[in-house]
Amino acid sequence: MRRTLLHAATVLFAAWFFMAGTTPPREAPGEFHLDAFGRLPVKFDGRKKPIDTLARNQLTVLSGKQTTKLDGERVSAVKWLLDNLAGRPEALDYPVVRIESIDLLSDLGLEEQNHFRYSYREILPALGRLDAAARSAFGKESARRDLYDRQVIKTANKLYLYQNILSSFEDPRDIPSEQLMATAQRYMQLESYSLPLVVPPTEGNPRWRPLMSALLAGHPSMQAAGHGMEADPLAGRFGGMLAAYREGDAATFNRELDAYVADLRAANPEVLDKLSFEVFYNRLGAFIKAAQVYLLVFVVSCFGWLFRKEAMLAAARTLMVCAFVPHTFAIVARVFLSGYPPITNLYSTAIFIGWGAVASGIIIEYAFRRRAEGIGNLVAGIAGFATLLIAHFLAGDGDTMEQMRAVLDTRFWLATHVITINLGYMATFVAGAIAIFFVLSGLLTRRLDATTRDGMYRMMYGTTCFALLFSFVGTVLGGLWADDSWGRFWGWDPKENGALLIVIWNAIMLHACYGKMVHDRGFAIMAVFGNVVTAWSWFGVNQLGVGLHSYGFTDSASFWLLLFAASQLVICAAGAIPERHWKSRA
Amino acid sequence: MKKVLDFFLSLKLTVVLLALSMVLVFVGTLAQVDKGIWTVMDQYFRCFVAMIDLPVLFPRAWDIPGIRIPFPGGFLIGTLLVANLIAVHWASFKVNASGGRLLAGLALLGLGVLVVAGVMLGWGTAQVAATEDDAFWRVFFRLGRGTLAAVVLYAACVLLYRKRAGLVLLHGGILFLLVGEFLTALFAVEATMTIKEGETVNYVDRSQQLELAFIDASDPNRDVVTVIPQHKLEDDATIDVETLPFTIKVHRYMVNSNSPRPLDGLPEALRKAYPAYEGYGSRLYVAEQREVSGTTSARNAPSVDVELFDRSSGQSHGRYILSLWFYPNFVNQQWDMPTRIMAGGKELTAYFRYRREYLRSPGGSPFSIKLLDFVHEKYEGTQVPKDFSSRILLVNEGEGIERELRIWMNNPLRYARRTFYQSGYMPDDSGTILQVVRNDTWMIPYLSCMIVFVGMAAQFVQSFNRYRRRDA
Repeated sequence: MRRTLLHAATVLFAAWFFMAGTTPPREAPGEFHLDAFGRLPVKFDGRKKPIDTLARNQLTVLSGKQTTKLDGERVSAVKWLLDNLAGRPEALDYPVVRIESIDLLSDLGLEEQNHFRYSYREILPALGRLDAAARSAFGKESARRDLYDRQVIKTANKLYLYQNILSSFEDPRDIPSEQLMATAQRYMQLESYSLPLVVPPTEGNPRWRPLMSALLAGHPSMQAAGHGMEADPLAGRFGGMLAAYREGDAATFNRELDAYVADLRAANPEVLDKLSFEVFYNRLGAFIKAAQVYLLVFVVSCFGWLFRKEAMLAAARTLMVCAFVPHTFAIVARVFLSGYPPITNLYSTAIFIGWGAVASGIIIEYAFRRRAEGIGNLVAGIAGFATLLIAHFLAGDGDTMEQMRAVLDTRFWLATHVITINLGYMATFVAGAIAIFFVLSGLLTRRLDATTRDGMYRMMYGTTCFALLFSFVGTVLGGLWADDSWGRFWGWDPKENGALLIVIWNAIMLHACYGKMVHDRGFAIMAVFGNVVTAWSWFGVNQLGVGLHSYGFTDSASFWLLLFAASQLVICAAGAIPERHWKSRA
Repeated sequence: MKKVLDFFLSLKLTVVLLALSMVLVFVGTLAQVDKGIWTVMDQYFRCFVAMIDLPVLFPRAWDIPGIRIPFPGGFLIGTLLVANLIAVHWASFKVNASGGRLLAGLALLGLGVLVVAGVMLGWGTAQVAATEDDAFWRVFFRLGRGTLAAVVLYAACVLLYRKRAGLVLLHGGILFLLVGEFLTALFAVEATMTIKEGETVNYVDRSQQLELAFIDASDPNRDVVTVIPQHKLEDDATIDVETLPFTIKVHRYMVNSNSPRPLDGLPEALRKAYPAYEGYGSRLYVAEQREVSGTTSARNAPSVDVELFDRSSGQSHGRYILSLWFYPNFVNQQWDMPTRIMAGGKELTAYFRYRREYLRSPGGSPFSIKLLDFVHEKYEGTQVPKDFSSRILLVNEGEGIERELRIWMNNPLRYARRTFYQSGYMPDDSGTILQVVRNDTWMIPYLSCMIVFVGMAAQFVQSFNRYRRRDA
C-alpha cells in the first residue's frame, strides 16, 4: 500500500512538472493576442514553422535563451520578436546580444557586465567597428583565422541575420515614388539571403514570399505603373497588424489578426497544418525538463544504491519512466514535424543517444531486476541528464529541425545507418557508465560486494556485445550509403574512421575477455576508455574540420572534449590501482 | 614450428593486432588535416610499412621536427589478422557433425554459396536498374537478398558447428568483407561523364589515366584516331606509330601545369625562357608547376611538351605544348581548344586528354547516354541544395534499349556492369557530370554486412538467453 502511494505521488509530481507552462496564458480581449500571432505560419531555412518557433530560435541564436527580460519582467520570445518587427521603441533595449569575447568587447567599447548580454542600443555606436573587423576576418583564408577572427565572424553573422530578418518585415508602402527603384533593388539583393518568408502561397501565387517584397508590389506607384502585380491581401493585413502594434492599438491588431487567419483558412487551409502542434512542442520543452528529472533520478538512485534503500530505487525507477514518456513523445513529435527520421544533425544525435541510454536503463531494471539493483537507474539518470544537457548547448545555432542537403536527403539511410551507428555510440557509453560506477564504488565505498561485482560485469559484457553489433552494422551501412551515393564503399573519411575505431575497440574488449586476458576489473577499465573512443568519434572528428561529416564546429567543444577525455583517463588510472587499496576488497 | 603456430593461434595476437590497427586508423585520421586522402591512403593504409609523420600527433601550431616513424602498415596488419583468424578457427572450431547431419550441412553450405554467387552476379535483377519512383525500398531489397544468403549459411553452420555456428559465420563474414575490399582496391575503375543538355555521349573519361590522341578527320565517313597512352610519354622518349605521318619526341612530361595565361602580359624574363611553340603555345603560357596538395579540391593538370618530326625527311613540324587544360571535359566544357597540326598533307587534331573508353554492354554492343534535362533544386528561400537530378535517354540499338531514366543524388543507374552516379554539374546548370564506377564486387559489402549481422545477433541472443535463464 505504501509502495502504491509512493508510485502514485511520483507520477503526479512528474505530470505536474511536465505540464507546467504548456497552456497558453489567458489574454483579455483588450490585450494583444500574442499567442494567436505566434501560431501564424512562416517559412524560414526551407521549413514552414509557426512564428513562435522563429522567435525562439532567433532569440536563442542571439542570446542563448528562449526568453528575455526587460525592466526585471520576463518577456516571451514572440513579444520580443514582434516588438522588433513592428519597430517599437523599447525593442532596442532588450539585452539580447551575447558577446563573450573580452577582446571583442573592449574593441567595441563595451564594458563587461552581467551575463555578457547587450542591447542593440548599446551596440549601435560600435556597429561600424564590428563591421570593419568582420570584413577583415572574412578576407582571410579560413585556416588563417584566429580565435578573435572567429568570434568576430560569429557575432557579426548573428547581427547580419537579425538585421536581414528585420528588413524583410519592412513596410515600403509609404515611401516616396522616387525611392522606389532603389528600394526594389535593395530588396532583390536581400532576397538572395535566407529570409523569413511570411506571405504564404495562395491561388494566384505559388511561392512563399517575404513581407517587404509582397508589400512593395502593392505600393500605389507600382500599381499605377501597371506592373501587372496585384496587391497581396494577406501581405496587406500583415502590414496592418504590424502598424497597429507599433501604435499600441490592440483592437485593430486583433481584428487584423483574426481576419488574416480567416483569409488564410479560406485561401490555403493546408498552410495552417501542424502549427499549433509545434507551438505545443515548443511550450512543452520536454528535453530540458527531462534532463532535470533524470538528474533527480540519478541523485535519488545514488543514495538508494549506496545505502540499499529499495524504496528510493523504486521511486526513482518510476520517475525515470515518467520522464522517458515525454522524452519519447518529443522525439516522435520532431519526426512528425520535420518529416525526417529522428536523427538529422548533431543536436538530434544527443537527444537520441540519451533516449537510447534511458531505454537501456529501463530494460536493465525491468528485465533483470534481481541483478540490476538500481544500476539501470544510475546509468539512465546520468546518461539522460548529460546528453540532454549537451543537446541544450548544441541548440544555439538556430532551427534544430533543419532541411537536409542534397546528398544527405535520403530517408532510407537516415533511418538505418544513422540510427544504428548512434545506437552503437549509446551502447558503448552505457557500458562505460556502468564501468565508471564499478571503479568508483569499488575504490571509494564498501558497496561493491561479490554479487554486485558479478552483476555489473555481466551487464558491461552484454552491453558491449550490443555495442559491437550496432557499431559494426552501422559502420558497414555507412559504407553502403557511400557506395550508393558515389560508388566508393570505404574512403577512410575521418567520421568513418571514428566509427571503425569504436568497432575495433569493442572487438578488442570482447577478445580480451574470451582470451581471459582481463577479468571484471580490467574489462571495466577498458569500458571506461571506450567512452573516450566514442566521444572522439561523436565530437572529436568534427573538430578536425575535414571530410564530409564535418558539421557543427565549435571552439568550446574542443575544450570540453579534452576535459572529458582527461577525466576518463583519470578513472582508468584509478581503476588500475591495486585492489588491496580498494575499499570494497573481496 | 610449433612456436610459430602457437603465435598465430593466440587471441593475444588478435588483440595486439587490433590495437595496432586502432593506432594506425587514428593517426591516419589526424594526418588528413594536412594531406589529401589519396596520399594518406598510400602512406598509412595501402602499404606494408607505414611512415608516421610525428607532427600530426600534436597541434599544428607547435614546432615539432618532421621525424618519420615506421609502423606496421594496413596491408601487414590485415594479412596477419587474416592469418590469425584462419589459424584460430582451423584449430578450435571443428566440424561437430556426422552422417546425415554432416551431409545436410554440406548441402546447405553449397546452397548458401550458390545464393551468394547469385546475389553477386545479380541474378533476378533488372538489366537496367534505375530508381523509378520510391527510393526507400531499393536498398532494403538489396539487404534482403544479403539476409537470405546469410540465413541459409547460418542454417548450414548450425548443422555443422552447433553452438558455435554464430561465431563461425560472423568471422567468415568479416573475412569475406576484407577479401571484397582487397578485390575492389585491385579492380574497381572510376571514371566520369560530362554531358551538356541535349548532347549525346558514348564514352567515359578514365580520370586516373591520360592519353595523347591524334584525330584524322580527312575521311568523311570515319575518323581515324591514334592514341598514345600516358606511360609512353616519358621525358626524352621518341614515339613512332605507323598511322601518324610523324614521330613524336617528348621534351618534358609535366605532372601539373598552370592554367593558360596570355603570353603578352608576362614578364620579359619568363617569356624569353619559354620555348617557341606552334599552336596554342605560341599565344598562351603553360608551364610546369608544383603538384597540388590534397587538402584543396584542386586537381593536377598534366601537360606534355612534344616536338614532331617528319618520318621521311626528319624535318621538324614544330614544337607543341599539349595540355589537359585544353581538353573541354577537364574545365567543365567552359572551352574547347583542339590543337591543329598540318603534316603529310593532312590536318590532324590533337588532344591531351583523359583516357577515353567507349561504352559497350557486356554483349559487345555500343550504347550512349543523352542528357535531356538537368535540374538543380534548392529549398525555397535558401541557397541550400535540395536535389541534383539528370533526366537521360539510354540508347543501345544492338539490344533494343531506348529508355528515359532519371539519375539523382543517392539514386544511381546500374547498367552494363557500370554504375552511373549524379556527381556534379556545369556552370549555370547547363549540363551534368556523372561519376561512372565499374566494380564487379560491389555487392560483397551488402552480403558480408548481413552475414556478420546474422552471425553476431545469433551468438548474442544465445548468450543473452542463457543469462536470462540463470537470472530467472
